[in-house]
Amino acid sequence: MDYIRVTSEDELATALRRDGAVLLAGGTDLMVKMRGWAIRPSLLVDISRVDSLRRVSTSSDGAVIGSAARVADLLANSTLCVRYPLLAAVLRSLGSVQIRNRATLGGNLANASPAADSALALLAYDARVSLAGGAAERTLPLAEFLQGPRRTALQHGEYLRAIDLPAPRADWIPFFHKVGRRRALTIAIASVAGLLAFRDGDIVDARLAAGSVAPTPLRLHSVEQLVVGRHVDDALVATAAATATRAVAPIADVRATASYRREVAGELVARFLREAGGLAPASL
Amino acid sequence: MNIRFRLNGREVEIEAGADARLLDVLREDLHLTGTKEGCGEGECGACTVLLDGQPVNSCLLLAPQADGCDVVTIEGLAEGAHLHPIQEAFVEEGAVQCGFCTPGFILATYSLLRANPEPTDEEILTALEGNLCRCTGYSRILAAVRLAAARLLAQRPAAPQPVAAAETPEAE
Ligand SMILES: Cc1cc2nc3c(=O)[nH]c(=O)nc-3n(C[C@H](O)[C@H](O)[C@H](O)COP(=O)(O)OP(=O)(O)OC[C@H]3O[C@@H](n4cnc5c(N)ncnc54)[C@H](O)[C@@H]3O)c2cc1C
Repeated sequence: MDYIRVTSEDELATALRRDGAVLLAGGTDLMVKMRGWAIRPSLLVDISRVDSLRRVSTSSDGAVIGSAARVADLLANSTLCVRYPLLAAVLRSLGSVQIRNRATLGGNLANASPAADSALALLAYDARVSLAGGAAERTLPLAEFLQGPRRTALQHGEYLRAIDLPAPRADWIPFFHKVGRRRALTIAIASVAGLLAFRDGDIVDARLAAGSVAPTPLRLHSVEQLVVGRHVDDALVATAAATATRAVAPIADVRATASYRREVAGELVARFLREAGGLAPASL
Repeated sequence: MNIRFRLNGREVEIEAGADARLLDVLREDLHLTGTKEGCGEGECGACTVLLDGQPVNSCLLLAPQADGCDVVTIEGLAEGAHLHPIQEAFVEEGAVQCGFCTPGFILATYSLLRANPEPTDEEILTALEGNLCRCTGYSRILAAVRLAAARLLAQRPAAPQPVAAAETPEAE
């Protein structure tokens, strides 16, 4: 295996055209896979020192996050974290200090795990991704980029350049909860992230996303449609939870059964609505 | 590949394969065996080193990725025969049993206390969540970090008193 460290996107695009070239960012997914012999690249192209890919900019129009920006650097960016608290909440729960110091946002998305935590917040914010290195740079909604477990829209020679976030609403209430065996270093059994905005007691905007309950992290559009225009009461919470359990398509694996994952997804949606709508927590 | 980096304050230059992990280079080529391999997958933190001052898992890092960087291992903390105050605190509080996880815990603690000299227990637990210990049950480790924080704080030169404070009459 060969290794090269590129310092510009031009060098990167050239290197990626070589056969068997695999892009290396923080390595926190790739190194584990290489150790398990799940992949054997012939060339690793290290992008961790390409400055243009690590840049983060925020403005009144939104934010642009370079794909090789590290999770720890994003959490240290207070402007970003104040404007996008749901993204901050999700990133704080990713891995451990050691992992956050290396892991990148682009790696989390390109790795295309059904459990990728950052994807939940980014889906809720309607993020778009820009892809470069192909015939022409293109941008697409994150939901179209994530195609299945370990499958993305990236074509041979393409790389993820940046993640674009539209301007946030100031009145969004964020929610994130990940259920796993322990708090840190855990791959979620199921997780839900969301944003709700209210006017005069009615929900006027709802974004809900769930992880580890389908081939990709996914938006719960049917739940969103159900709750918009309504005020939160016990009946709405119950219907929304039931709708969520039907919107997901989990698998059973060593971490949990499919039916348990459905229940957890429904319960997390219920908790979010209760909390944001000011209802007392359900008694267990 | 030819790789150069600063290791515990000294420049080192070595030849390593492109697929060598920093962990292997430290242990096998540079004979610094304080850095341990536990799980090899970033879960346990026994291989923690400081890369440009930040804790990372050296099992998930290729040696070429450390090229040009500053690396500190557990061997870099003591000054000659004098243990670092964090190491002393771990010894005194009995936070070490088999010792395999200890270098990782101490480096994670070192990085925490440099950034945050007076952490809350919650902050300590968050800083150490990437390190696993199978012997102590963690309460001795938490006690050691609290003790180390108190000692390091006491050693720090007192912050210069703001001039205004000196003029304020004692309001008791
Ligand atoms: C102990 C441990 C705990 C973890 N905990 C969590 C967790 O709680 N939540 C979670 O979501 N993840 C977790 N992860 C997974 C991992 O840390 C994240 O997915 C991380 O964000 C991956 O980023 P990276 O830069 O390390 O990716 P890398 O390992 O460098 O790359 C991952 C994949 O993406 C590709 N890639 C990277 N960047 C680009 C790009 N710009 N363009 C195109 N392709 C690219 C690589 O070729 C590779 O296939 C954990 C991993 C470990 C080892």
